[in-house]
Amino acid sequence: MAEPAIHTEGLVKTYGRNRGLTGLDLRVEPGEVYGFLGPNGAGKSTTIRLLLDLIRPTAGRVRVLGADPRRDGVALRRRIGYLAGDFVVDGRQTARELLTYLGNLRGGVPRARVDALAARLDLDLGRPIRGLSKGNRQKVGVVQAFMHSPELLILDEPTSGLDPFLQHEFLAMVREARAEGRTVFMSSHVMSEVQQTADRVGIVRDGRMVTVARVEELRERAVRKVEVTFAEPVDAAEFAALPGVSEVTVAGTVLRCRLDGRADALVKAAAAHTAVGLLCEEPDLEELFFGYYSREEATRAVA
Amino acid sequence: MLLRDPFTKALHDARRSLAGWAVAIVAVGSMYAAFWPTMRTPEMADALAAYPEGLLEAFNYSDLTSAAGYLGSAVYGLLVPLLVAVFAIAAGTRAVAGDEEAGTLDLVLAHPVGRARLALLRFAAVAVGVVLVTALLGLALVALRGPAQLGDIDVGGFAAMTLHLALFGLAFAAGAYAAGAATGRRAVALGTGAGVAVLGFLANSVFPQVEGLAWAQRLSPFHWYLGGSPLVDGVQPVGVLLLLGSTVLLVAAGTAAFARRDVAV
Repeated sequence: MAEPAIHTEGLVKTYGRNRGLTGLDLRVEPGEVYGFLGPNGAGKSTTIRLLLDLIRPTAGRVRVLGADPRRDGVALRRRIGYLAGDFVVDGRQTARELLTYLGNLRGGVPRARVDALAARLDLDLGRPIRGLSKGNRQKVGVVQAFMHSPELLILDEPTSGLDPFLQHEFLAMVREARAEGRTVFMSSHVMSEVQQTADRVGIVRDGRMVTVARVEELRERAVRKVEVTFAEPVDAAEFAALPGVSEVTVAGTVLRCRLDGRADALVKAAAAHTAVGLLCEEPDLEELFFGYYSREEATRAVA
Repeated sequence: MLLRDPFTKALHDARRSLAGWAVAIVAVGSMYAAFWPTMRTPEMADALAAYPEGLLEAFNYSDLTSAAGYLGSAVYGLLVPLLVAVFAIAAGTRAVAGDEEAGTLDLVLAHPVGRARLALLRFAAVAVGVVLVTALLGLALVALRGPAQLGDIDVGGFAAMTLHLALFGLAFAAGAYAAGAATGRRAVALGTGAGVAVLGFLANSVFPQVEGLAWAQRLSPFHWYLGGSPLVDGVQPVGVLLLLGSTVLLVAAGTAAFARRDVAV
């Protein structure tokens, strides 16, 4: 397998007496969209700041695109695009001025590329940044992160403060980046923000990785509420014993139940009757995500 | 193009404040210089003679009977160096600590720019500003030589004084820059600069009047800047070297500390 885009081993960062990271093992493969999930204060921003060499690790190893952020920082950051959740810049300049400057730091970005991104996000580059709304300011941040088509995008809670239109556009840009073979590392404290785009999610808590899962697998594991409408009344007992099926209730011709895991057994059992309608709720990955937390807590309490 | 790199960008960002300080310092210096003809009247000399000598010395008003003595005291001895120090401390603070506390340093450092390089380029922009403002003041006073009857000071004297003033400003800018770069705190940078300015001023003008404290004068940047009357006797190598040396040391130490530490959120 190719060298990981991001690889940390036993990464520890201690701030004074606070433990920012307590031994984080993270592996992001090239070309994937990785959702880095955790509650506020879990160590997401600390990790990102370590990747960018804004802070230095207390212990452990970090490699980004095969390079050491400390030693090869300048060359490395040429290949990275970074967007902070709260994009703060000096408001006295126009977006155009800022983007020209930042582009120059990267050795120049074609004006047409900046214009195209701004047009796509409906951003007016000519106005002073202080006059822009929070959403528009965040657009400037999105443009500067994407404008040089970096190999690796590091996005720290990128969609906070974006309106639905912009969120949609932003996620489309993330998908395009992946289609072009770029790697995206995206932090968030809500699953819904990353579940549409991420290939894998890692859940971080108290400075450690709690679990890593493929979003597809999460979906498969997730509990769904299913409602089947039949032509004639059915017997609840027939369905209650099926694997993965629970909380079966029958009201006339309508069967309601919870489905945990694969739908196969339920579908086959339903096929014995005439099914008129089938309703399957999109799984709430958020629920599953917090399920991990509580399970983890429980394990720790036992130990 | 002013948006080319961190050096030109820092100058671009400072353009308004730079213009403001240049106007203020040149205006104050020229105004005081323009008072010189009225200071030569016997009435004024009598009035000044009535003040206690210690008070006059405290304000660097040592010799008000010649144009050089007056300019060295009233213009270059008190208001102008204090204004230059405040301007330099503010600019040195902004270079790293101000930007860091505003939360805007992260973005630039996430770009392909080395930390030391960024900080040094920004200090270079501050230095250009200090030199520019002090040189403009020098030029204004040279232009006023005729109208304000300052003819007995030659252009070389003004040049030497301007060099001393510029180096004095650079040393204060370097002090605030170093404290800010090492800690990331605006208050520390401003406090360090202001503290050194106040202590340095007292050490040069007030402490020497106290018995047993005369040695303190030799540690004062104000003494390095004013000692030996550069306006009359030209460039004073010891003062110049002390000012330049402390600037270089402070910038080097501050930059090294900045390159090593964590950048604040």
